[in-house]
Amino acid sequence: MKQSWRIAAFAAVIAVLVIALLPYVWIILTSFKTRVDALSDTPIWLFTPTFKHYPTVFLDKGYLPLVWNSAIVAVSTTVLSLVIGAPAAYIFARHNFKAKEDLFFFFLTTRMAPPISIVVPLFLLFTEIGIIDKLIAVIIAHTSFNLSLVVWMMRGFFADIPREVDEAAQMDGLSRVGMFIRVLVPVAAPGLAASAILCFMLSWNEFLYAFILVAFEGRTLTVGIPGLITPHGTLWGQVAAVAVIATLPIIVFTTLVQRHLVRGLTFGAVKG
Amino acid sequence: MRGAFMDRYISVWFLTPALLFLLFILVGPFGFMVWTSFTDLSFALPDRDGNLVGFDNFRRLMRDTLFWDSFSLTMRFMFLAVFAELLLGFAIAQVLFHHVRQRRFVLTLLMVPMMLAPIAVGLIWKLLLQGDFGMVTYYLRKVGILGDQEVILSNSDLVLAAIIGIDIWQWTPFVVLVMLAGLMSLPREPYEAAVMDGARPLQIFRDITLPLLRPIIALVVLLRGIDAFKEFDKVFLLTGGGPGSATELLSIYTYRMNFRNWDLGYGAACAFMVYFVVLIMCSIFYKAVYWNEGRPTARTDRPT
Repeated sequence: MKQSWRIAAFAAVIAVLVIALLPYVWIILTSFKTRVDALSDTPIWLFTPTFKHYPTVFLDKGYLPLVWNSAIVAVSTTVLSLVIGAPAAYIFARHNFKAKEDLFFFFLTTRMAPPISIVVPLFLLFTEIGIIDKLIAVIIAHTSFNLSLVVWMMRGFFADIPREVDEAAQMDGLSRVGMFIRVLVPVAAPGLAASAILCFMLSWNEFLYAFILVAFEGRTLTVGIPGLITPHGTLWGQVAAVAVIATLPIIVFTTLVQRHLVRGLTFGAVKG
Repeated sequence: MRGAFMDRYISVWFLTPALLFLLFILVGPFGFMVWTSFTDLSFALPDRDGNLVGFDNFRRLMRDTLFWDSFSLTMRFMFLAVFAELLLGFAIAQVLFHHVRQRRFVLTLLMVPMMLAPIAVGLIWKLLLQGDFGMVTYYLRKVGILGDQEVILSNSDLVLAAIIGIDIWQWTPFVVLVMLAGLMSLPREPYEAAVMDGARPLQIFRDITLPLLRPIIALVVLLRGIDAFKEFDKVFLLTGGGPGSATELLSIYTYRMNFRNWDLGYGAACAFMVYFVVLIMCSIFYKAVYWNEGRPTARTDRPT
C-alpha cells in the first residue's frame, strides 16, 4: 500500500516536471537545429547540432546591443530601486507615523498598477521632455514597480532584525543614519541581494513599457522578440537562439536565490 | 550637529525620495490619464487636439459592446486560469509535501516556467503550436485530441483554452511554491490531536488543513487574479488578440485603442477602467492578507 503510493507520487512528479520543462527544452533544441530539422513535420529529437544561429543573430543581425541595453536597464533600475527604496523600507519597519499603513498601501498599488494604463501618459510625458527611445525612459518606468517591490520586501527583512542590534549600535555612539548604513544594511544584506535579483529579473523580463517607450536605438531584448516573427519564413533557429539568451541568465540567477523568491513574489507575505 | 539634524528628520529624509519618485512617475501620469479621458485627444484626427468633452468617452465606453466583450473575456480568462492553477498547484504541493524527499531539487526544476519572460513564453508556445511543424500540434493530432487540419491559434473555439492553458503552464509552479511554503509552516499540534481523536485523513484535510491555509489561498488567488487580469505579453505575441477578437483581453483592447487607433481620449477611458478594477482587487488583497502594522496574516515563519 505505502509502496504503491510512493510509486504513484514519483510518477506524478516526473510527469509534472516533463510538462513543465519540455517546452523550454524544445526551444533550446531548436536553437541548435538546421532550418530543415526545425521545420520538419514530425518532431526531431536527435539531430546533428549547428552552432551558427547564435553568431548569425547576435553578431550579423545586430542583436548583441539589445542584450547590453537589457543589462544596462536592469542593473540601473535595480541600483536605483535599492538606493531609494531601502531607506524607505527601513522607516516602515522601525518608525511609526500617521497614515503609515495608508502610505504602505499606496506602495502596493504602484507595484500592481497595470502597465497598459500608465504607459500611455508616460509615453506622452517622455515624448514631451525628449527622452523617448532612450534607455533612461525604460529605467524610470521599471523603477516605478521595482521601487515598490523593494519597499515591500525590505520592510520585512528590516523588521526581522532584532531591536537589540539597533540598541547596541546606539550604545556605540552611532547616529541613526550611521546605524542604518553601517549596521542594518550589512545585516540585511541577504535580503538586499534577493531584492536585487528580483528587481533584475522583473526588469529583464518586462515587455510592455519597453515596447512602447523604446522602438529603435534603445530596444531591449524582449522588445526585439516580436520583430523576429514574420508571417512567412520565420527563422525559428535564430528566434530560438534569442529566446534562450533572453531567458537563461535569469534562470541561473534566480535559482541561486530560490529561498527568497517566494517572499519577493508574495510581497513579503510568505517566507519560502 | 549635522548628524543630529539628519537624525531628527530621518523619516523625512528616507521617505521623501521614494515618494517624490512615485509622485513624478505614477501619480502624475495617472492624473494625466484621468484628464485625457475627459478630452477628445487623438493623434489620428488633426482637429481633435484635446478639447474637453465631459463624460462622452465614458458614455461611449458604456455602450461599446466590443469593450464589454473584452471585459467578460478577461474575466473568463482570469477565473478559469486562476481556478485551475489553484487546484493543480495545491495538488502538486500536497504530493511534494507528503511523498517527496528531494523537494528542493524538484522545485528548482519546476520553477523554470515562471522565470521565463512572458514574451518568451509566448514565443515558445507559438513555435510549439505551429500548424505545419509545431511539436505540440503534432502530438495532439497523433493522439486525436486535435483534428488533422486544425491549428489551435487560428481556431477561435480553441484559442482561449490555449492561452488559459499556457498561463496555467507558466504560473502553476508559483502556486506550488507558495502552497508548499504554507504547508511547511503549519503547526503540528492540531494534527497530532486529530490523529489521537481518530479523525480520518479527509476530515483532517477539511477541518484543519484548509482553514489554516485560508490566508495563503486568499493571497495566491488575489495575486494571480490581479496578474491574470493585466495579462498582455503572452497573448500579444501569440495571437495579437485574434483570430477576430477571440483573445482580445482588456489590456490588448486598450493597447489597440491607444496605439493602433491613436484614439487617446477614449483609450484613456479604457485604461482608467483597467486601473479601477485592479485597484479594487488590490484593496481586497490588502484587507484579506495584510492587517495590523503591515504584518501579513498569511505570514509563514518556518524556513524550508
